[in-house]
Formats: sequence, C-alpha cells, structure tokens
Amino acid sequence: MSYRSRSAELDGEILRVVHAWQRDGRGLTDAEFDDLALREFAYQIEWNAPYARYCASLGVSPSAPPRTWRDIPPVPTGAFKDATLATFDPADAALAFETSGTTSGLGGRHYMDTRALYDASLFASFDRYLLADGARLRYLNLVPNPADRPQSSLGYMMGRISAERGDGATGWYLRGDDLFVDALLADANAAIADGVAVCLAGTAFAFVQVCDEFERRGATLALPQGSRVMETGGFKGRSRIVGREALYAAIAARFGVPQHCIVAEYSMTELSSQWYGVEPGKPMRGPAWLRARAIGPDGATLPEGVVGALVHVDLANRGSCIAVQTEDLGAVFGDGIVLIGREAGAELRGCSLDAESLRPR
Amino acid sequence: MTTALAGVPVRTILRGLADAAARWADADFPPRVRVLEAVVERTGYTLPVVEYGLDRLFGAITEDALAATVADELGSLDALDDFVARSGRPPARALPVGRVCVVSSRTTIGVALPAAIFALAAKCDVVVKDREDRLVEAFFGTLAAEHAAFAAAARAQTWSGAHDARDLSAFEAVVAYGRDETLARIRERCAPEARFFGFGSRASAGYVAREALGSEAQTRAVAEGAARDLALYESEGCLSLHALFVERGGAVPPERFAELLAAALERAHVEFPVGERSDSARARLGSARALAAFRAAGGSGAVYSDAEARHLVVLDPPASEPPLLLPRALNLHPVDGTAEALSYLALHGIALEALAASGKRADIVKMALDAGASRIAAFGSLQSPAMEGNHGGRLRVAPYVRWITSDI
Repeated sequence: MSYRSRSAELDGEILRVVHAWQRDGRGLTDAEFDDLALREFAYQIEWNAPYARYCASLGVSPSAPPRTWRDIPPVPTGAFKDATLATFDPADAALAFETSGTTSGLGGRHYMDTRALYDASLFASFDRYLLADGARLRYLNLVPNPADRPQSSLGYMMGRISAERGDGATGWYLRGDDLFVDALLADANAAIADGVAVCLAGTAFAFVQVCDEFERRGATLALPQGSRVMETGGFKGRSRIVGREALYAAIAARFGVPQHCIVAEYSMTELSSQWYGVEPGKPMRGPAWLRARAIGPDGATLPEGVVGALVHVDLANRGSCIAVQTEDLGAVFGDGIVLIGREAGAELRGCSLDAESLRPR
Repeated sequence: MTTALAGVPVRTILRGLADAAARWADADFPPRVRVLEAVVERTGYTLPVVEYGLDRLFGAITEDALAATVADELGSLDALDDFVARSGRPPARALPVGRVCVVSSRTTIGVALPAAIFALAAKCDVVVKDREDRLVEAFFGTLAAEHAAFAAAARAQTWSGAHDARDLSAFEAVVAYGRDETLARIRERCAPEARFFGFGSRASAGYVAREALGSEAQTRAVAEGAARDLALYESEGCLSLHALFVERGGAVPPERFAELLAAALERAHVEFPVGERSDSARARLGSARALAAFRAAGGSGAVYSDAEARHLVVLDPPASEPPLLLPRALNLHPVDGTAEALSYLALHGIALEALAASGKRADIVKMALDAGASRIAAFGSLQSPAMEGNHGGRLRVAPYVRWITSDI
C-alpha cells in the first residue's frame, strides 16, 4: 500500500475516533487504543527514518515491535530540534510549528501534512472542555497572532478557535514580548458594553504581566456573565513565577470572572492534542486519542500517582511521532494527569550555574 | 569601632581557628557527628560525600595556611596587632573593617566558613547566615570553647529571605553567594559605604591535552580524576566539572576517554554513593539521555550511562548545546585545540571558576586566563581548593581590614 493511501486510511480511522468522542463521548478501550497506536507506530517507523533508527537502537523494530502503547519508544522533545521527524517531505507540510523559549535558543519544528487531524482534535476538545454550553464568545487572545507568527502552535490554535467559534471581533494583544494592555482594556470594555461574553486566552506569564499592569493602573473589569479564561502554562525561561492559585485569584479579581470559569490548558508544539484542567484540584482530562504515562530516569513506566517525566501518546500525531517524552513533571491518575510542571521539586542547590543563569551570546 | 577580637593577638586567633578546625577534621568529634545527619538532610548528599566534604573543609584550615595567607596579603602577621614598618612607605596597621555579614543561601557544604574564618582572622565581628543544618553555628560553638572572645565575635543565625532579613545596613562588609538577582537584592540593602563581596554562580570545566592521552594507563588516571570532579557534591558546586574538552590526536581517542570516564564513574558511585535527586533533575536527566541516544542512533556522538541514570556522559554533542548542569552528567567535547573550548565557553556565557587541566601547556594556561578562571587544578583535585587560594579571584583576608598609617 502506498504512503498516501496508508496515511489516508489511518487518518480516516483517527478522525472516526475523534468524531465519535465529539459526538457521544465514546472513548477507546485499551485494546482499541493499543491497536491503533501500534499500527500508527509501525507506519511511523516505516516512513520516519530518524525515528526508526532511534527505535532500532533501543531494540524496537518491525521484527521486534512493542506489545502495547506503553512500549512505544517516546522521542524526546529535543529531538525535534535535531532532526526532521516527519513521515513525509517537509516541503509538503500543511502546518509547521516551531518550538520557542528554549534556554539554548534553538527551536525545533513539528511538521504536519494535513490540517484535518490537528483541527479535528482541537475543536473536539475545546468544544467539550471550554464550550460545553455552546456559547459563541468574543476571543481576546494574549497569545501570538497567527498572522504575525504562523509558526506558533498556540497562535494557530486560538486563530482557528476564534475564527470558527468566535463572534468575529477577535483581539490579539501579544507581539513578541510586548503586551498591548491599552488595547485589551478597550476591547474588554467594548465587550462589556456590548454584553458579549468573552474568552480570554493566554499563557500564565502573560496573565501575570497583565494582572501586574492592571494593579499598577488600579484597573478591574467585570466581564459579562458567561465569560471564561483559558490559561496555558508558560513560565519557561522567565524569572518571575507565580503559583497557580495566586494567579487564578488575581485573574478572577482583575477580570471579574469566577475562578471556576478558568480552565487550564496544557499541550506543546510537539503534540496535536491538548489536556484540559476544568475542575481545580482534579486531574487534567484529555480526549480519547491522547494518553500519558509518567516515567522514571530509566524510562520505565511509574505506578499511578507517582511523579515522573510525562510521556504523551497522541494518536493525532500521525505524521510525526505519536509518543513524545517531555521534561514536564506529572503523575497519571486513571485517564487523566496531574501536571506539576518543570519548576517543582527543583530547588536550586549549590553554587554552580543553573540553566537560567547562562547568558548565551 | 572596637570588635570582640580587637585585643586578642592575631597568632592566638589563628591558633584558635586552626585548633577548632582540627577538632572538626576528626570524624568522631561529637559536635561534627551531631551535625552530620542535618547536613545530609539539607544537601541530599550521601553520608560518605558529606564526610569527605567536612574532611576537606576542616582539614584545609591549618595555622600555617592561615598565617601564610595573612602574611602574604597584609605583609606580616604583626600588622594586625600593631604598626609595622614598611619598605618605602609609612608604618601602618591593619584594623578590622568592623562587622561582617556572610550570606550563603544556596551553597554546598560550608562555603561560608572560609570567608568567616578570614574575617575573624582580621579581628572582625562576624555574623553568618547559617543553613538549616546549623553547621556554622556548631563550629562557632567549638571556637568559643577555644577562646572566650570568639563567643562574642562569631555568631551564626538562621533567617529566610526578606521575611526575616537582618538589617544588612548595620554591617561594614557583606559577603554573599548566589545568583545575580540575589546578589543585587542583597547589595541594595547594604550601607552605601559598606564593602560588598558578591560571589555569583559559576561553573568549572576540564581540558585534557593530547599529551595526557599517550597510553591507556595515563588516560585512565585522568579519567579517574575527572570522575571524582564530576561526581562530588552531585555536580552542584562551582568547582564541579560542568564541561569537558578532550583533544583529538592523542594515542587514546576521545571516544575511548569517554568509555574510561564512564567506567570511572561506576567506581565513583561506590566511593561516593549517589545523593537525593529532585523529580525535576531526574526528568531532565532522562530526557537528556534519551536525546543523546537519539543523536547517537543518527550517527552523532555517543552516550554512556547506566540503567538508573546514575551518571550520564554525552560524547560530542552539538556545540550549540549548553552544559547539562545536572547531577553527575557531563558533555564531553572532542576538540582540536583550546580555541574551540574557549569559543564554546564564550558562546554559552559560562563564567569559569576553575579549570581542571591535564598539564601546564602554555595554551591551556592561556585558556584558563582568557576564560576568567581563578584557579587551575589537576584532575581529581578540582573540588579541593587550598585554603590559601583565591576563591573567586579575590584576596582572602585583605577585604576585611582597613589601614591606618602613621606619619609621626
């Protein structure tokens, strides 16, 4: 079977899973998840040469395949900087997202040869976790505008959501490291005047900056009822880190949005799907085609509830690698995860340099 | 101003400091035994590592070392007791600068002690911000038993950040260790005329010349030393080995050196068992090892580790890759010469504290100078600096005195 027809066949299967989950919440049994994951893996080591070489070095090959999705060798996120991890010629990519904010300053790229999987995965999850009431909101985005930075996966994500689920009056307030607070205030006040509920979407660090600036100006808003906030992690490389509880309290106070209307989103450029934290203190939930395991330094899967590095298996990553190893700390609970982040447990000790202290030229 | 040690002869002070240190160099000395567990708990290092650290720390504090440092920096010991004649200059006396505060919020074992000891040698009153293990407080207790004046001169207190901050403006000199932003915050709180000595976070590197790679045995000896420099204090000290450059062109290639280093690390884990690691460090180690394995599978470099990732040696990572800065983890860069090593250090903005070198070849010495190092050491002794040395490139006792000259 040709590459094109195998890809189309897998995409069809993945989309059926997405649509079934979106339509009636149907998940995948372990056997179903294993079956699709292992077939995608076999496809990926056939067409993704760098990944196949890596798997072979670990003793995993077509003749020695993994038995379950947990045995699929995860590719470290850093590998996206070193190699083109795609099952196709990147010149044919429909989407190419770049990683950012690494301390070494070198980015990686995640190529996709179709928008269909990313978009389907995105809308299914966003609709469930942020738009369960079907609201048509006004999107005020503290993330890069995809018109300026098409390589930002977060920008693309909010661009698609705003275009398809918004009221047409979308705002963008982040360019480079600059936040445009005056514009945000003006647009938020316009939404209040119009009585249109909004969705504020941004990184944690952007929200910290906005809340600081609101405090400096003595500004508070009372966004219309039904407004909500999507906060996505992001203090990487930043010197000021604020605890999530304090941040949510500040957002609630400054924007007049109840804390239970703040949803945490977690994903990364190297994935096509997202985790969402809807209920404070409860594990984040993902769609049926996204699973995770926590691993120890030896790569072995840790028992449920034990903190380790998170490995995600995202079946929507058909064109790259479905298994991705991160440096993010977390623990798995059932089919959800508790994300701890990169900073926790990393109290600086000793007088040597740390990554944040390096001053690359 | 008068200090508690002002009337005590300097030789008495140095003897008291050295005698107290000698007691602490004895592993069975009860105060040391009592503090041991607390140091283990605070640092997360294993008992043998802490014992080794205390041996090295207190073993280096000898009367000869202190006297030599004072005499070298101040011209003579007597200058601390009275006016002394000086060649071509008026007679002068070195007086204590006053009250000295030593703040070491984030250091390995006993880093604050040498500064405190030299400030006491200069007859200053000293307050040390002690860590939770109260090592300094316990040592000061021994000092007080040596001479009653130390009880008033040397005090250790614990406090945390700004919450319970000492009034630093009351000190004539402040010594601080930490990241740039920490040092800046501390400096802001000092009196305008106070002397401030900030020791920022630094790293150390190693350079193995091809001449040291002449035979397997010769290479193994260097690798053993490098393993010790890497493993001690879980690579957290400014004197830990954070980057290693190995020249091509020796009889033993860098690839073999990496193998020998990994084998030496296996042995080092026995002498110095691996300490506690944070979840974050473990995750980053796992990720770094996986990335190195990915590169190796693609034909770039090699990775040496064990099942538990107790150590990680990455051979020939891209030059764009910063040092791993993880416990017992090291990037090993094969190079053709010192220029490559210097360019790597500059590229990543690495402030070098010390350079471990396999020999005193002129270009390696120049590399140490150009990289801003304050010490060149043999492999295996990187983490054992002499008390008489110049940590951070600074004088040891001179910072804590002010001079008075007599023209009559």
